[in-house]
Amino acid sequence: MENAKILIIDDDPDLTHALSTTLESEQFAVVTAADRTEGMEKVETEKPDLVILDVMMSTWQDGFEMARELRKDPQWSDMPILMLTGVKDKTGIDFKSSAGDPVWLPVDGFLDKPVEPEQLIEKVKTLLAKKS
Amino acid sequence: MNPGSKNIRLVQRAQWLIRMRWIAIAFLAAITFFCSNILKIELQDLPIYCIVVLLAIYNTLMLLLLNHVIKTRKEVPYYAVKRIINVQISADLLILTVLLHFAGGIENPFVFFFIFHMVIASILLSVKESYLHAAFATLLLGLLVLLEHTGKIEHHCLKEGFIPQCLQQKGMFVFGTYAVFTVAMFLMVYMASYVAVRLRHAEQARKQANVLLREKDRIKDEYVSRVTHDLKGHLAAIQSCLAVVANETVGPLNKKQLDFVDRAHNRTKKLTRFVRTLLRLTQMRLSDKFEMAHFLLKETIENAVAAVNTKAEEKSIVLSCNVRPPTDKVFGNQFSIEEMITNLLLNAIKYTPPEGTIAVNASNSNDVVVLEIADTGIGIPEDEIDKVFDEFFRASNAKKHERDGTGLGLAIAKQIIERHGGSISVESQLGRGTTFRLTLPKKNS
Repeated sequence: MENAKILIIDDDPDLTHALSTTLESEQFAVVTAADRTEGMEKVETEKPDLVILDVMMSTWQDGFEMARELRKDPQWSDMPILMLTGVKDKTGIDFKSSAGDPVWLPVDGFLDKPVEPEQLIEKVKTLLAKKS
Repeated sequence: MNPGSKNIRLVQRAQWLIRMRWIAIAFLAAITFFCSNILKIELQDLPIYCIVVLLAIYNTLMLLLLNHVIKTRKEVPYYAVKRIINVQISADLLILTVLLHFAGGIENPFVFFFIFHMVIASILLSVKESYLHAAFATLLLGLLVLLEHTGKIEHHCLKEGFIPQCLQQKGMFVFGTYAVFTVAMFLMVYMASYVAVRLRHAEQARKQANVLLREKDRIKDEYVSRVTHDLKGHLAAIQSCLAVVANETVGPLNKKQLDFVDRAHNRTKKLTRFVRTLLRLTQMRLSDKFEMAHFLLKETIENAVAAVNTKAEEKSIVLSCNVRPPTDKVFGNQFSIEEMITNLLLNAIKYTPPEGTIAVNASNSNDVVVLEIADTGIGIPEDEIDKVFDEFFRASNAKKHERDGTGLGLAIAKQIIERHGGSISVESQLGRGTTFRLTLPKKNS
């Protein structure tokens, strides 16, 4: 799915910049948001094909709540969400095994921060292919 | 002090007291038989044997009473157990006095057996209670001696076979012995209580120090966790930015530029890995709970082996896996166990020269499943083998063999396995190989 639109929601501008550059080099259209509110706005206005979501933004669990909120809305219920996290270390929770749980963690994939460009691209492509 | 542990200790001591009494009863029966039938000492056999029987009944009752108190209530009542001990010691003193009455009164050297109860009281009870027991004992014996001396009750003399003449009539002997006895009783309580109280204080102080140490350790872990977590955020951004340049996503670099950026990128990756490992360890130490369930170790081992197989093949290492079926399910956190086995296998691959072998074996053994990972690697020097599970420790030959390494892998493995109530040990011969042996409990401990 070339030229798919990807929304990156992360409060670290440097990381966001690096990730969007990487994705743009693969011909994806990238939009970014720095927090949950801006993220929800961009979802509405930009209608992305995939969202990359940071687990921990201004408050911890922001990412989780946003994922749940998106899933509730039928309009976005099948939009792939890729969760980017450094949070496993913080909580000791094994997210990989919980991913896909519709209530607790309604996301489609997980990547640990920092993520290697190749890994990111591969994951994004897989998720997009699954959707279409 | 934790009231629970205090109660448990008291109950154990109460049970010990009952066990001691069984021994005393047996001893009493044997010594009476010996003195009466072999040494031919003139003893009141019948009353003494009756007392033996009574003692046995009384001890059984005490045992039942104690078990009843423990079983019927969720919380073992401290004061109830203490009361039982107090009653027992008082009853013992009374019985011993009656026993002495039938065995020669103050002429019988066993009169000093009262001392044992003073020691027991000092250990188990408060200082005040111990002195009260000493007072009770001297009162009982005093009464016995007085009544016998004044002829109010009959005196059973040990004249035949033990002493040349009945000493009961000799006031000097009777009251001299009694005075020494009284002093001995109170001195005994004073000394034993002194030691017991000091011991109790020392134990309490040690426990407090332990609690404090654990708390300090936790604060340290929290600190390390915070710092490393913040570090990791920055590192993630640095690494991602460097990756964009190193991959020439934002334009081509010349050879020299690429070389330097690559070096920086690689070092950042190593630093990230180190920080991540450190975080994993501190987080594990900080978190109280692990989600545990019963799972099949076989699958977990196979997953771990599959995950590292390519790495082993790259070095032409033969990786064999033998899970003797059927290993039972173990109880634990599958994710952590798999992570640990994978890490141990990666370690084995790292320190095993090409063409070597790594064997994974698992088998049942009573309450645990035993897992062995044996390699034909560089081994661990004998004098360093005790330190391999220490945080940040790397064996001298390991550092030479492989420059990179955090020295945290085995510390994490140990932490994981201990959280599960299992154990990890290592055997190694330098230059020959290393075997890690792990045990994982099958049941929730």
